[in-house]
Amino acid sequence: MSRALALPLPRPRRQIWSIGGGKGGIGKSLLAASLGWHLARLGKRVVLVDADLGGANLHTCLGLPGPSRTLGDFIQRRVERIEDVVVDTPFPRLRLISGASDVLGAANINYQQKVRLLNRLRALDVDVLLIDLGAGTAHNIVDFFLLADVSLLAVVPEPTSIENGYRFIKSALYRRLRSAAPTGAVRDVIDASLEGRNGHAIRSPLDLLAAVEAVDPAAVALLRREIAEFHPRFVVNQVRSPADMAVGHQLVTACARHLGIRASYAGHVHYDDAVWRAVRQRRLFAVQEPDSPAAQEVRQIARSLVEGETLALTW
Amino acid sequence: MSAPVETHYAVLGIGPRATFEQVERAYRHAAGLYDEDALATYSLLDSAERHAARARVEEAYSVLRDPIRRHEYDVKLGLASETSPPPGPAAVPLAAAAAAAGARPSVVVLPDPVTGADLKRFRESRGIGLREIATASKVGVRYLEYIEADRSEVLPAPVYLRGFLQEYARAVGLDPKKTAESYLVRMGGG
Repeated sequence: MSRALALPLPRPRRQIWSIGGGKGGIGKSLLAASLGWHLARLGKRVVLVDADLGGANLHTCLGLPGPSRTLGDFIQRRVERIEDVVVDTPFPRLRLISGASDVLGAANINYQQKVRLLNRLRALDVDVLLIDLGAGTAHNIVDFFLLADVSLLAVVPEPTSIENGYRFIKSALYRRLRSAAPTGAVRDVIDASLEGRNGHAIRSPLDLLAAVEAVDPAAVALLRREIAEFHPRFVVNQVRSPADMAVGHQLVTACARHLGIRASYAGHVHYDDAVWRAVRQRRLFAVQEPDSPAAQEVRQIARSLVEGETLALTW
Repeated sequence: MSAPVETHYAVLGIGPRATFEQVERAYRHAAGLYDEDALATYSLLDSAERHAARARVEEAYSVLRDPIRRHEYDVKLGLASETSPPPGPAAVPLAAAAAAAGARPSVVVLPDPVTGADLKRFRESRGIGLREIATASKVGVRYLEYIEADRSEVLPAPVYLRGFLQEYARAVGLDPKKTAESYLVRMGGG
């Protein structure tokens, strides 16, 4: 028998995925848990991170009791190494860093704590780090979204969710632009937009560029590049009708035409009683009811994202 | 300096070689975007902005759906000469138009080989029903369901299946030839 080559196969580089949504109760954690499970089934070494600091329940989505070690232990320096709060799940290649629901005020970690956390997360030896973000548009949440290679934005086809989704996109983009702003004058324009200090004058990134051009024309090209590199991907959850299914493409078009943002559409997941049944039993629906439409659709989304494809319209 | 005026093609998000069917699909998408209760724009645009955007879409559609007016418009844009004949509704095959460089630059990247589930997901994302495809293609709904379910044991022989797949792909806006080949490879019939 010939001896196998001793050279290790090259591993694709580590990726960070984040899943945000701006609004709670839209099934984001269930999506994160199921995506993580599917990625692990595809052979990826995955660590799920419950960054819903203050409202963590990703462990329940996976059918686990609350782990004894959580992100809070790392943030509060009760443990020094991030690896010490990574716990196994019953599923091969899928591990979890549970959130810090036991730490009062954990959602408001300070800058130093955040930098330490981000650096340690980045250094973990995994294929995919999948971060489940909390609701809202706080800096700590948006920063996790921005650091990802694949930034997923979950929405449900309801006005409140879509509205919060757009708010989340704008908050994330403006935070990114603020970090890149070359002068204080440009930062002031961005801050005024974020804080709504300009009335209705700046309602979109396109308006913002026009306002920046008035104070620092040279900065516009830089900000345009930042906007071009900002690439959120929509996942439309809990769809019930063909009209709901079309919402994803419409969001992409609306982002391009009215915000100047190059978003894309990763796919939709049907509203499915199988999900509800699995949640009641504290089981992951992808495992409990793998043939359900929702489970199959999440599997498709996971596979598509791994293969780098998006759903695009060609007429 | 005033901002350049968007062409009718840009308003509908299509290229100047778009077929009649492509214009229709693009119009449906764009018009739906600016419905009164459209989820994707209600919080982005106020009522006046939405009406203006919808009016712009209707204006673009009214020109591009009419071969004579479209030809006049193309001449004005320098895309056609006055002596060239206006295109009929089906002058350009869908597949050729989709592949044309002038078409919308986004390209559907589905897995290759493509599965029935991939096709279903894409169709649903476009909001197209199986019955709609069946009406347009004359392929029975049952066979369309078999295609999406990868029911190779009940699907017809590859020579017929290829035709069904091409009709399906054409109806949902995919490249008919490539889609059929990709699907058939997995079925062992490519």
